[in-house]
Amino acid sequence: LQQPAKSCSRLSRQLRYPLYQLGNPQLRIFRPNFFLTLVRPGMEQPADVVQFRVSMEMTKFDVKNYLEKIYGVPVAAVRTRIQYGTNKKKNHLNQRVKRPDYKVAYVQLGEEQTFNFPDLFPMKDQTPEPGSMDDLQNKFMEDEKQRQKNDPRRGGVPDWFGL
Amino acid sequence: MAASRLGNVVRLCRQFSDALTFSLAFKTQLSSRVISCRVHQRSVGINAPKTSLAEQCRSFHSTTIQRSLEEFFDDPKNWGETTVKSGAPWTVELLRAKSSEDLHKLWYVLLKEKNMLLTMEQESKRQRVQMPSPERLRKLERSMLRLNKVLEERESALRLLQTGQEKAQPGEWRKNLLGITHWYRYNEYPIPWYLNKRYKRKRFFTPPFVNHFIRLRIEKDLRQRSRKKRRETENRKELLEKFPQVAEKAQKKAKVL
Repeated sequence: LQQPAKSCSRLSRQLRYPLYQLGNPQLRIFRPNFFLTLVRPGMEQPADVVQFRVSMEMTKFDVKNYLEKIYGVPVAAVRTRIQYGTNKKKNHLNQRVKRPDYKVAYVQLGEEQTFNFPDLFPMKDQTPEPGSMDDLQNKFMEDEKQRQKNDPRRGGVPDWFGL
Repeated sequence: MAASRLGNVVRLCRQFSDALTFSLAFKTQLSSRVISCRVHQRSVGINAPKTSLAEQCRSFHSTTIQRSLEEFFDDPKNWGETTVKSGAPWTVELLRAKSSEDLHKLWYVLLKEKNMLLTMEQESKRQRVQMPSPERLRKLERSMLRLNKVLEERESALRLLQTGQEKAQPGEWRKNLLGITHWYRYNEYPIPWYLNKRYKRKRFFTPPFVNHFIRLRIEKDLRQRSRKKRRETENRKELLEKFPQVAEKAQKKAKVL
């Protein structure tokens, strides 16, 4: 892994990994500050391809080493591209607002492994406990809705019509 | 900052000398080899208590190691929950008590956790649902910052002992062309400075014709300060006129104080 070097803003300059100066005691604790985000692929991908959003400074080799050394995932190949963040949006002063660019890495898994993005937010039955506050609130709302409905005997004729 | 570092050095030196005198006293009084030996060992080992690698790496692990892409996702039990329980971030005191090796391991634990949370955040944005317990990201950030801080402290202590330098990258205060003082960090160049065109292009001096403008700048600053001060006093006076009760109270307080 290469040494992280973030620039641009002043804050990130402070967070930059300190350069080694000759004569200083050697740093023995390497702490990579790169982060990967596994994302659901927008376009359909082959079964053995995993899509990541990676830091802009990371190279293909970095991604490969990161996954192999830290996560123990066999990597066959890595392809990267840079996604242009849109600048179509305008703010209240009609100025263009740029969304940040990011790098996308398509990682092909080795050893015939496959990956399928799981459903992280499955629908769970959300019936509140009887007698709880939520339950009472739901009952009240249902009752109110029933009250505000029109008379079914009028057959959909609006209120203002008739005596 | 500098004072605290100096204080560290002084304290360490004092500890060292204490240990030495202690060992000498024992030698003279008891003249027993065993005790003096032990004390001597202690005095040597003050700076870096050394334990073998085998001792630090325990052979027994209670946690299961699952190293795969599954680590990018939360525990499947937590999927679909609205809130996930989490502990407090690591405090500096807790981290200081840990060995460097443990901190190294902890960094990777935090790194994996952060990757997991970032993945979940992105997925929740995509599904347009609320992320369960987003405060975990902030907690992680805090503990990572603190870990970095602790390691930096250790590094600087080591550096001070070994080289006596306060900063990892030395530098000095310099004035630029406009007479503004800034911190210049020394860099390594492959050629001497008088041959280096790029270095010589940066002018670290203030020509005398700039003195007039420096004076103007100082005057402007002074004017701004005095204006601010006057504005504040007038504002206070107006407020006191508007609210006489408060004025009486303030006067009483001033008398008491």
